[in-house]
Amino acid sequence: MWPTLTAYALAAGLLLVLSHALPRLLPGDFVSAHWQGGEVVLDADRAAALRERFGTAEILGGYLSALARGDWGRSLALDRPVLGLIGAALPWTLLLMGSAHLLSTIGGFLAGVEVAWRRGSSLEKGSVAAMSLLNGVPELVSGLLLLLLFALRLEWLPASGAQTAYAEFSGTAWLADLLRHLALPLLTLVLAYLPGNFLLARASMLLVISAPYLETARAKGLPPWRVRYRHGARNALLPLVTRFGLRFSLMVTGALVVETLFAYPGLGRLLVEAVAQRDLPLARGIILFSSLSVLALNLGVDLLYRCLDPRVNHGC
Amino acid sequence: MGVELRRLFDNAWLRIGGALLTLLLATALLGPWLSPHDPQAMTFVPLSPPDGSHWLGVNDAGMDLLAELLYGLRNTLSFGLVGGFSALALGVAVGLIAAWFGGAVDAVCMRLADVLLAIPLVMPLLLLAVLAPPSPLLLALLLALLSWPSTARGIRAQALSLRNRPHVAAARQMGGSASYILGKHLLPELAPLFLAGFAGKVRMALAMEASLAFLGLFEPGRKSLGQTLRDAIQYYYLDIWWHWLLPPLLCLSLLILSLTLLAVGCEARFDPRLKEG
Repeated sequence: MWPTLTAYALAAGLLLVLSHALPRLLPGDFVSAHWQGGEVVLDADRAAALRERFGTAEILGGYLSALARGDWGRSLALDRPVLGLIGAALPWTLLLMGSAHLLSTIGGFLAGVEVAWRRGSSLEKGSVAAMSLLNGVPELVSGLLLLLLFALRLEWLPASGAQTAYAEFSGTAWLADLLRHLALPLLTLVLAYLPGNFLLARASMLLVISAPYLETARAKGLPPWRVRYRHGARNALLPLVTRFGLRFSLMVTGALVVETLFAYPGLGRLLVEAVAQRDLPLARGIILFSSLSVLALNLGVDLLYRCLDPRVNHGC
Repeated sequence: MGVELRRLFDNAWLRIGGALLTLLLATALLGPWLSPHDPQAMTFVPLSPPDGSHWLGVNDAGMDLLAELLYGLRNTLSFGLVGGFSALALGVAVGLIAAWFGGAVDAVCMRLADVLLAIPLVMPLLLLAVLAPPSPLLLALLLALLSWPSTARGIRAQALSLRNRPHVAAARQMGGSASYILGKHLLPELAPLFLAGFAGKVRMALAMEASLAFLGLFEPGRKSLGQTLRDAIQYYYLDIWWHWLLPPLLCLSLLILSLTLLAVGCEARFDPRLKEG
């Protein structure tokens, strides 16, 4: 328990210090980087005024206490508080990522359990081969193919955005519009996450199937679905929970690509734009916020895992 | 050796994947000779469709797209190989050291792995990119520095079980040094494990390169499959999808496919648990 908490605290500390130190390690500051060698020539007064406005000369302690007070700075390009911008973009990312995770975890788990139950059938062989091939296809490839086919060639679904601009829908029309915009990015992410969950659920279910207690459950005359889920699948669930946490850190890149590709107004797109515009406070804020959230999520999964499986504690 | 190689390629997945990857590698290696034009020359009519001199047409900046594709494949593939190999080497080294020395060394290595696994890889890279576009080599090495833990964990688990086998114990009793036993016994015996891991790591690294280039993290003049995709998608409303968007997409898909086939083939070949299934 304590080693885990220490590791997470260390990781969070490392991120905080890095986000403060990295910009400082490089020569020059924002003002000289932006106006140097450009067509605009700054005189000393203007340069001093700009430094005053955009200056980030505080020491680590001041930086951390400002973060704790909720003062995350102002975006240079959009001239609005970083925390407000994050708050506006976050719901879209949560909607997209949350539903993708939910669908791919539940779908992958159920399909994996069912397929493991039908071990040796042609359905099993075919689906395992297909999922192995799909596993590891980056979101960039699957997303572009989906965009090309369904949005650009067939024109069934919108290619960008989260809502139709200026449409002012209400009620069911609003919901339908929302879902139509969600469909392609969501499908891309589900295609990326489902195969891994499926393969893992199948593998761990195969280990469970040969256990003697399943034989007992069957011998008691329980209905097959009860044997499969109450007795079997429950024990095959654990690896999936671990994976849920560990995969998060790798998924961030894919989420960035998907939001950029479909111009979805979430955190990822905001971050990519901030990077393109060299908007340090905004980029730093989003990076810090999302990294710390992923860390917190991982910690939560870790603790949940201990509750689910008391055996884990023996190792520590 | 011949028999060994024949047995290695018995597996259909391995054979197809190996052939595909060899073809792509050869294309990448021969790129400069196959390329009909200088990839940096901006002297052609921008946005012109394919014709006899430009098989894939010309992009918005007046550069030949076939040359761009060949050089992009070269850059993406070499980034994948460098990043994948260094991640693997680092992971194997840390895993072996942790398993062999145990105790405090093991604890520190594995805690470090936990920390790195919990941090989203791409975030530190992005923070760096805001400040200055990093060089590809630096980025590949940083990627390796951040992605070794999964390999290290697998290698450590296997090395721990190998450590107590009789032949390793015998080697220790005869006074074999740590480096001798690690290099002569553990490394070769774990080779199958990291062969499969290598294909997976290369796949991860080159997908990462394409994604990062697509997001605009590299300098725009560098050729990459991801960069070509990024440029092409700006002109989605023109009829360019089949000669500008599709070829790099196809190349990237084939690269990923061949590496997946190799990784799955290796696993099926070397992991007896999977073979039963």
